[in-house]
Amino acid sequence: MRLTRGGFTDSSRALTLLADADLVALLGPLEESSPLRESLLDGLSRTASPDDALLALTRLAATVTATGPALAQTVRTGLANEGLLRTRLLAVLGASSALADHLARHPGDLAALEEPTAVGADSRAVRAELLAAVGADPQASPVATVTGSQGVDALRRAYRRRLLRIAAADLTSEEPLSLLPAVAAALADLAAAALEGALALARSELPDHGEGVRLAVIGMGKCGGRELNYVSDVDVIFVAEPAEGVDESTALTAGARLATVLSRVCSAASTEPALWPVDAALRPEGKNGPLVRTVASHVAYYERWAKTWEFQALLKARTVAGDLEVGREYCDALSPMVWTAVERENFVEDSQAMRRRVEDHVPAAEADRQLKLGVGGLRDVEFTVQLLQLVHGRADESIRSPNTLSAIAALSAGGYVGREHAARMAVCYRLLRALEHRIQLHRMRRTHLMPTADADLRRLARSVGMRSGGAEELGERWRSVRREVRHLHEELFYRPLLPATAQLSREEASLAPEAARARLAAIGYRDPSGAVRHIAALTEGVSRRAAIQRQLLPVLLGWFAEGSDPDAGLLAFRRLSDELGTTHWYLKLLRDSGSAAHHLACVLSTSKYAADALARSPESVAWLADDAELAPRDRARLAAEADAVLTRQDDATGAATLLRALRRREMARTAVAEVLGRRSVTSAAHALTAAAEIVLVGALRIAEYEARHGPEGLLTRTSIIAMGRLGGRELGYGSDADVLFVHDPLPGQDEARAQAQAVGIAARVRALLGAVGPEPTLEVDADLRPEGRNGPLARTLASYREYYQRWSSPWESQALLRARPVAGDEELGQRFVDLVAPRRYPVGGADPGTVREVRRLKARMESERLPRGVDPTRHLKLGRGGVSDVEWTVQLLQLRHGHEIPALRTPSTLEALEAAEDAGLVEPSDAETLREAWVLASRLRDAVVLWTGRTGGAAADVLPHDRRALSGLARLLGHPPGRGAALEEDYLRTARRARAVVDHVFYD
Amino acid sequence: MDRQQEFVLRTVEERDIRFIRLWFTDVLGILKSVAVAPAELESAFAEGIGFDGSAIEGLTRVYEADMLAKPDPSTFQVLPWRGERHGTARMFCDIQTPDGEPSLADSRYVLKRALSRASDKGFTFYTHPEVEFYLFENPADPDKPLVPVDTAGYFDHVSRGTAHDFRRAAITMLESMGISVEFSHHEAGPGQNEIDLRYADALTTADNIMTFRTVVKEVALEQGVYASFMPKPMADHPGSGMHTHLSLFEGDRNAFHEPGAPMSLSVTGRRFIAGLLHHAAEITAITNQYVNSYKRLWGGAEAPSYISWGHNNRSALVRVPMYKPGKGNSSRVEYRAVDSATNPYLAFAVMLAAGLKGIEEGYELPDGAEDDVWELTDAERRALGIESLPSSLDQAIAIMEKSELVAETLGEHVFDFVLRNKRQEWDGYRAQVTPYELKRYLSVL
Repeated sequence: MRLTRGGFTDSSRALTLLADADLVALLGPLEESSPLRESLLDGLSRTASPDDALLALTRLAATVTATGPALAQTVRTGLANEGLLRTRLLAVLGASSALADHLARHPGDLAALEEPTAVGADSRAVRAELLAAVGADPQASPVATVTGSQGVDALRRAYRRRLLRIAAADLTSEEPLSLLPAVAAALADLAAAALEGALALARSELPDHGEGVRLAVIGMGKCGGRELNYVSDVDVIFVAEPAEGVDESTALTAGARLATVLSRVCSAASTEPALWPVDAALRPEGKNGPLVRTVASHVAYYERWAKTWEFQALLKARTVAGDLEVGREYCDALSPMVWTAVERENFVEDSQAMRRRVEDHVPAAEADRQLKLGVGGLRDVEFTVQLLQLVHGRADESIRSPNTLSAIAALSAGGYVGREHAARMAVCYRLLRALEHRIQLHRMRRTHLMPTADADLRRLARSVGMRSGGAEELGERWRSVRREVRHLHEELFYRPLLPATAQLSREEASLAPEAARARLAAIGYRDPSGAVRHIAALTEGVSRRAAIQRQLLPVLLGWFAEGSDPDAGLLAFRRLSDELGTTHWYLKLLRDSGSAAHHLACVLSTSKYAADALARSPESVAWLADDAELAPRDRARLAAEADAVLTRQDDATGAATLLRALRRREMARTAVAEVLGRRSVTSAAHALTAAAEIVLVGALRIAEYEARHGPEGLLTRTSIIAMGRLGGRELGYGSDADVLFVHDPLPGQDEARAQAQAVGIAARVRALLGAVGPEPTLEVDADLRPEGRNGPLARTLASYREYYQRWSSPWESQALLRARPVAGDEELGQRFVDLVAPRRYPVGGADPGTVREVRRLKARMESERLPRGVDPTRHLKLGRGGVSDVEWTVQLLQLRHGHEIPALRTPSTLEALEAAEDAGLVEPSDAETLREAWVLASRLRDAVVLWTGRTGGAAADVLPHDRRALSGLARLLGHPPGRGAALEEDYLRTARRARAVVDHVFYD
Repeated sequence: MDRQQEFVLRTVEERDIRFIRLWFTDVLGILKSVAVAPAELESAFAEGIGFDGSAIEGLTRVYEADMLAKPDPSTFQVLPWRGERHGTARMFCDIQTPDGEPSLADSRYVLKRALSRASDKGFTFYTHPEVEFYLFENPADPDKPLVPVDTAGYFDHVSRGTAHDFRRAAITMLESMGISVEFSHHEAGPGQNEIDLRYADALTTADNIMTFRTVVKEVALEQGVYASFMPKPMADHPGSGMHTHLSLFEGDRNAFHEPGAPMSLSVTGRRFIAGLLHHAAEITAITNQYVNSYKRLWGGAEAPSYISWGHNNRSALVRVPMYKPGKGNSSRVEYRAVDSATNPYLAFAVMLAAGLKGIEEGYELPDGAEDDVWELTDAERRALGIESLPSSLDQAIAIMEKSELVAETLGEHVFDFVLRNKRQEWDGYRAQVTPYELKRYLSVL
């Protein structure tokens, strides 16, 4: 019982161990309830793992006894009395098996535990201590006198002896979180001293002791920030300058030699275990660059080549060893660059990309155990802090500290972040770091993963003071910290952008206008002043809306910034809020559904078309909360809805308006789904086609209804044949509906009167859908009919037959490839299809005359139809390698081979292309090239509409030049930010290749 | 404002410079210049100087005319021929769109992009050009026979010769602008000279070549002669090439050098050459961009018409110069097709890309040519697998048009512009009836 209460998990083993011969030999018999035994058990019960501590103690006992009576006496007395030695020794043994091993190897180091605490020691003293271990004079440029592997081992032992003291102080602290900054600083100083010692050893290996070179070791990352872990790569950069009278290349060679040996001293295998890897990969050109450079060479690199993240890394640079003068020159030369990095081109994109890298580069299996990477991890905290430093550090020197916790404090003191949020962030950071320290201490391994074994979790929990709750409490605490870190990022970064009047509590910061604009600009707002005004408008007042928006806005501001046009997103949100802000469900939706709010922010800041559509029918905002609402409505459901609309209405114009509203709604649904990446280009085209078909069916029904109830009654049956993109189910947002009207007089009716009525019906359909009204029009275009605009709007089946037999030209055959009945009498539609079959799929294939004519027509079209002044390489429809190039190529194949290959008989471009490929008419690689070009051009045409919000006009089919527009299009196509130029290259290349294929497939 | 910009501003003030010329290069390699007053310099660094790009060849289209020239302070130089007092200085510029993105039509950017691709693979690219040009008596009138300033030949020393003085003046001026000259001598043709620029990273070299051409023209003007970089000004005399030595460095180490290997040439070096050879025909429309260029390429003598390589073989397209023991960092290969009228930015970019492609794809290097390739018969060359470079601009365009490598390196915009521009040039040339034809046919036909 006593043992279980004391924290042992295996009490029978504990009993055996207490009777262990070695232990007894050292301490004397430990009888039940003897004072010594009680005192020992009491000490053990305070350790992270009493079981481990006791086991380690028995192992240690043997070596202590063997070492000599003096040491044995010390330990015996130390353990018998409550004092530094007992508490510290047991704490170390219970938390770190690696340090226990070290003590077993070097029992002499036990004495170090009684020395005063190493935390908070003067860094110069630490440096002198480690240099003394290798017999070097701590004056400038120390050279080791204990050299070779002996020197290496001596250095490592001295390092570990001090590490032992740091760990002991850390593990026995009542408030480990408070002590954390001091521990991390002590570890960094110790690492710096070790680097100095290693450099002294390296100098001893050079014949001239490296006198020709002045080498500085610059600490980066945690080492530079003076916030090191127990075990991690120590990031450094080596800077060398020649000593007086030495030429540069000799000095650099010597410097590189020193750097190489230094790394080896720290990390190569020897009798004593290695310290840590010295990582110089942050240097210019990374692993490919020279190990050592001069200050000037560094400067040249950063001026010319360095990327944004490299400046962020430089924020932590601090001279840690070697020539301090050179180190100062280096820091003086580079630090101004760090603080102007925010002015660099692409800073916004780069920093967003860096943030994504922080989140993405975690193996899925580890994601839930990572303390460092991943959402809510240490890196997340550091990133937030560093970004804020880069943004505001340009104007304010007080926040430039390389140390994370100092930086948080400075940011808070400077009013850049809310005080309470900053304090909470600091606590989260300390807890994560403390956990990391404890995990690493156990085996002195470089790891950032939470353990999984029960015993490990228990030890970890006890080591940070969670004695009673154990593993469960720990897991809960950790998860809540991660959640909080993520939340705090938003609060720290965006909350202070809200005006002072919109603060939720007095603890919050509100940025001065200048700083607010700098921060908004740094995350991608192009008009920060405008954004400040919108934010003020959205948060002012005492309404429920303002209250909810004050809560939400910080998060939304971040989401808008992820979109391609944050300013437009914010503006659209403000408009929506004016429109809907008092509606109950809207506020509830935003408040309660995180994903709906996120989707809304994404749509508003990515697509003007979708934003307008949402503003037009605000109720559609509700879709955002429900994925099912974003799925395309199937045709039957739409037909039923249209049917209900028509049955209810007796006013023709009113009914048509409702139909058009229905189509608008479906277009909006498609747009929103496409923006959110829920639709492929073909499924979007199908949805848009279905919406157009439904309104055609409805309009025809209205027109026929009117005729039936007119003076003459209904005289004829009508069918609408879809042509062009409508026929191919390839409609875009701005496409017209190309159609033919065919009719067949009812038995016994007068042909001439029936014809007149059919023309009237067709005209009525066009008017119902094309007249100006509150809902968007659908332009019904019948220009592909026989005789074009000079011919009658509708013809009888017999008239079509006669015309096609007598007059038809090659282009008509080609146009008919896309014919597909979509509305009206089905049987009539089928008869029309049968009628045109021999025209579009002529027996034996299109004759050479037709083929020649089609090619000529195309060649002429290329030069004539392209709008004036448009660069042919950029016209998505008619340009080089554009949609029309691919379609004509496919259609010519259909004309020539449709009669023999049934699969070619389809109005769809992609299906026909696939059939042609299957039939061996096109090489697979050529088919792939054509398909890619067609799909990309089609997606771009959609994206242009979604981005600009305009469905027509001269620019609608042209790839824009404007970088921002290109970048917006790229986002809509699912590329990461900042890929506009790449998208442009991509399209131009794809189209160029497609054109090469068209040249030989179509023209040869 | 960074240190270099501050340095420039300070120098401008200290040396009382009255004008700063902002230089950039159009797609054809012609130098363009905008002069600004010192007062405008600070805003030029911050935002760039706006100009109408529609007037510049290949830079832009009419409707997106606004462009920004953003000076690169590291290229700041005082122009010596403008006098010491109240001087004029120049800086090269990067061309940007009004959004501050690099213009895809800027040939300097094309090279920068190619260099950054190389640097992603750990390479830096160095070049060393040997620029040839002719000096003619003034005025050099296209309608009259050209008169060279002397009648000397290769390496001839001409006592008190114009060319001698000329070279000395030019070199002094180049050196005063911080451009080191390696070597200079009289070339094979009468009045023909060669000046070799010291090797430097490719971007600096390209900038230097642009400066060099200007300096040579300026000095000629001062001395009352006319300098021309035309690839083949006289049918009976050698053309003006710009043999270019290329080398790649990995950090501080020459990547072409491997002690003990044949010719001390590393595998990387061999593959680089293989890449150059493999893509030589595709890049010719860039390295030899004018109708006249092909008169040099196919003018016999030492012109490299055939795609081959050799060790010190003066007829080969790619030559591996004799390796000097102990000078590992001087290992390099010499590409001999390029002529003095090329756009150096584009030429360096495509040569680099071709070589890198060889390295990436691990091309095998064919056997080197030991004979004078010109001496071989067609059948022999066929047997040896030696192909030829395009014989005319027309052919070169047709080959380049199919090249993914060139398209990718130049970017679609420049690629398309070059193709269109060069086709126009060819069409214009083809429409001519030349004096040669008249002389040859008029009397007999």
